[in-house]
Amino acid sequence: MTAKLRGKAAIVGTGTAGLDEAPGFTAMDIQALAVRAALDEAGLSLADVDGIFCANMSHTFPAISTIEYLGLDPRWIDGTNTGGSSFVAHALSATMALEAGLCDVALICYGATMRSGAGRMVPPAEQPVYELPHRPRYPMTAYALAAARHMAQFGTTRAQLAEVAVAARAWARLNPDAFERDPLTVEEVLASRMVMEPLSLRDCCLLTDGAGAVVMTRADRARDLAQKPAYFLGGGVASYNRAISEMPDLTSTAARDSGARAFAMAGLGQNDIDILQLYDAFTINVILFLEDLGFCAKGEGGAFVSGGRIAPGGALPVNTNGGGLSFCHPGMYGVFTLIEAARQLRQGAGARQVDKADTVLCHGNGITLSHQATAIFGTEDTL
Amino acid sequence: MSQTGPDSAPTTGPDREFQARVADGRLWLQRCADCGAAIFMPRVICPHCASTALSWAPASGLGTVYSRTTLRPRAKPGEAPRPPHSIVLVDLDEGPRMMSHLPGIAPEDIRIGMRVRARIEGEAGSHLVTFQPGEDRT
Repeated sequence: MTAKLRGKAAIVGTGTAGLDEAPGFTAMDIQALAVRAALDEAGLSLADVDGIFCANMSHTFPAISTIEYLGLDPRWIDGTNTGGSSFVAHALSATMALEAGLCDVALICYGATMRSGAGRMVPPAEQPVYELPHRPRYPMTAYALAAARHMAQFGTTRAQLAEVAVAARAWARLNPDAFERDPLTVEEVLASRMVMEPLSLRDCCLLTDGAGAVVMTRADRARDLAQKPAYFLGGGVASYNRAISEMPDLTSTAARDSGARAFAMAGLGQNDIDILQLYDAFTINVILFLEDLGFCAKGEGGAFVSGGRIAPGGALPVNTNGGGLSFCHPGMYGVFTLIEAARQLRQGAGARQVDKADTVLCHGNGITLSHQATAIFGTEDTL
Repeated sequence: MSQTGPDSAPTTGPDREFQARVADGRLWLQRCADCGAAIFMPRVICPHCASTALSWAPASGLGTVYSRTTLRPRAKPGEAPRPPHSIVLVDLDEGPRMMSHLPGIAPEDIRIGMRVRARIEGEAGSHLVTFQPGEDRT
């Protein structure tokens, strides 16, 4: 039974570094700063780390390079790269490795300098060869095709997509670390420059620098550390395709499966979740994932996000840090969903803290709707 | 490639075989001899039933636009603005879906649900499947 993993490990430390711009720093530099911050928060040291989980798009062997840079000597090394979802999937793998005794202190980390470095997304080495000649612009083209199909099939409107961006901005205005903190209205999103129809500039995530790190231990040890633990309650992954043209139904993602697996392991339902952290590379993502994770019916996501439902003060808080749309997005955002989950669960999220924060669902999306990973965390009361 | 698999294993890489087949101006797809599925992109194994008994057959070339998007490039300083570029996903009548574009067709004339037919473009070894509006072959 996969429920063997429920509550067996917890996030005990979180750290970020180099958010917005980190000129002159490398991805490994700011990643190291985030790792140090996460360990300090937990009251642990680098010497305690004996398991590493790492992915990025700038290094062919990111886990190994991280080991070298930090001077680690880990017993367990996992460099699984599923795109931006990697770190949410790593939370499941780390819980497994911790419970199996393969490591005692698991470090999940990421860093990238997309803004100050290349100034653009670093393309993965392996690209869909039957799509490239038609000049798609990854990853945007894939999400635009999904949005266009969702609009044609369900009547979703650009104004409904804009609601997602506006909600993210409203949350970001409560987060001092957020990259974009100016007010934003639906009208402004609709009036922003059209980039890839039907997605305008404000339907697209930021491109920032940034690093994030999360430290996990087994639950028994977590209780003795400095922070209130964010217990891992359940997780799941799913993937059917790499290329968007190979995706069976562009309005229905593998989050249906990853989410169902996570809920089953956690023994929870949608009504038990207080806060969602959904990888919002584009506004359509949040609508797709709310539907596929079962928070509303398929096709009703546009209406669901309207009227401020997912914004501060709304019935269902989503992306309380401001998300990839307004907080930060250094290429692979997944690790930041874990960080925000842990901070909300320990009532440490400052002005954006949600009152009832006993459970948080994190959802990571990889590549071009190609890989989905869901992880649910909770306070001690949920064990 | 030496033939070490079942009798039906291919002797030429499927990408190269695809390029050779479409050189006659028609769209060719693989078809699985065991489960009957039409397959694109070219492979050595059926993604539906794991059979390696894949053969090639000319397709109708007809399909329906499943989704579409248009890139609106920003003008760069000192350069003329680049024209918009539309990309489509086409559901072929035989089943598979493929990414493509419709050369010369204005973005506003490309609609989800419209019927299109394939056209083979490009040089030997680097042929490209594009589409034009149209229900029937002439």
